[in-house]
Amino acid sequence: MNAFFRYLMIQFKMDLRDRGFLLSFYMMPLIFFAVMGAVFSSINPQMKTTLAATMTIFAATMGAVMGSPTPLVHLRESGTLRAFRVNGIPTSAVLSVHSVSTFLHLFLVSCVIYVLSPVLFHSQVPQSPPLYFAAAAVFLAASVGAGMLIGSCSRGQSQATVISMLVFMPSILFSGIMFPSSMLPEPFLWLGRIFPATYALQSFYGLAYRMQTDLDGLLSLAAVLGFGILTFLLAAWRFRQIGETEQI
Amino acid sequence: MSESIVSIQNLVKRYSAFTAVNGADLEVRRGEVFGLLGPNGAGKTTTLECLEGMRRADAGHIRIAGCDPFREASVLRKKLGVQLQSSSLPEYILVGEALELTEAWSSGSAPEGLIEEFGLQDLMKKQYRQLSTGQKRRLNLALALVKNPEVVVLDEPTAGLDVQSRALLHDKIRKIRAQGVTVLLATHDMAEAEDLCDRIAILLNGKIAVCGTPEEVTAAGNQETRIRLRTARGSLLPGSDLSGAAFVREKDGYLEWKCRDLVLTITELFRQISDREDSVDDLRVERPSLEERFLELVKGA
Repeated sequence: MNAFFRYLMIQFKMDLRDRGFLLSFYMMPLIFFAVMGAVFSSINPQMKTTLAATMTIFAATMGAVMGSPTPLVHLRESGTLRAFRVNGIPTSAVLSVHSVSTFLHLFLVSCVIYVLSPVLFHSQVPQSPPLYFAAAAVFLAASVGAGMLIGSCSRGQSQATVISMLVFMPSILFSGIMFPSSMLPEPFLWLGRIFPATYALQSFYGLAYRMQTDLDGLLSLAAVLGFGILTFLLAAWRFRQIGETEQI
Repeated sequence: MSESIVSIQNLVKRYSAFTAVNGADLEVRRGEVFGLLGPNGAGKTTTLECLEGMRRADAGHIRIAGCDPFREASVLRKKLGVQLQSSSLPEYILVGEALELTEAWSSGSAPEGLIEEFGLQDLMKKQYRQLSTGQKRRLNLALALVKNPEVVVLDEPTAGLDVQSRALLHDKIRKIRAQGVTVLLATHDMAEAEDLCDRIAILLNGKIAVCGTPEEVTAAGNQETRIRLRTARGSLLPGSDLSGAAFVREKDGYLEWKCRDLVLTITELFRQISDREDSVDDLRVERPSLEERFLELVKGA
């Protein structure tokens, strides 16, 4: 356990030294948050109400889905995973540490967004902060699971980037965080329901903000949780398979 | 004779239709530096990866430090240090962190003085991506030694290094051996093998073609010793064969012969020079090299 935590600390610090990582996990989401808060909320006043929730979903999807798969692929391609393995670091520890470290970074950004939203853009504070953070934690974990699954299934960095884009774009455009669901054509609405971001938004609205929602808040949260567990299990299985079938 | 610490019997490893290792047999004794040589694609790296537990053999029997590398991988990890041919560390990891991380997972403490021994004390705060190739190799070798292993596997550790870095790494390998650690070294560099290894094996087409000390392997070949001689008065006639030696050429005042029995030929030469009341001005003897023997074996295969 001590070895795991030492690895986690080192990984967390390595992430902070990586400019590409900082761009995906901190700068882009916070710049987008600033733009959305300043410009879009004046166009769509409803957006201001739940700015913290929508921007947390954006930040988590950006970081986990766009930012985390390529470093995982790079670990395999560069031979780092092999070097770790011969030095006694199991592949399961590599996946776990990357997941936890990614989660911690996303949680930090979420906290920054939560604190700054009411201060900078006078957005509404959730009626239930504990449920807000519970919904946020579940969604962050599910997003990390998706990122790890993409990273462990992709054959190369370019493939990982394409898959990430295919998950990221509809998650952002059709989940209701950019445009209200009522404005979306029926096919896009259904397309959005494939991705956990849609259910995460419903769980934020229903549980944390106590708003009327299309889907039940608790059921939506359960759907996000189920998605997270499934993606983690698949990523862990795939990573184990990589080790056993000599693909590292 | 020392006990065997690595034993490979009839090892077979296939990649689809291609057989990389085809019935290799090998014994490495405890405390020796054992060199594994062979041309590209001969199966050196595959053999080492089967030993390290990175690849599962299709057939055969492997024991290393008393362990089956695939079934007892976790036990073996504590006894085996490995420097892979192509491996890397995360670009942003500090040298100190890499050592700390390996130490943490090896459930032991690194040998005292390891950092100083490998000249890493000034690099501890440097990121891996900022290191030179030589510094990376030194770090990777130090990481392989963090857990005080019984056996160290080095896959082409000096490939791509400059002369100074190579000499430094050779010195480290000698020190590892002096500490009683068994070293299994795969290399393309014949001079390195001759210089460092107690015994070597040449792997050809997935099989061990020859095994022994570098001297034994070289002597077993058909290559001949070259003698180049210049006398003070030039009394020896070019083109004259000696008993057991064939004349090769005359160049820059030197006469050159090829022979198998060096002592016999030298004795004969000195007798002829003495008979002609001449004297030796310069004498050069070139024994067959491991490289020549290697090329002979590769050509024959």
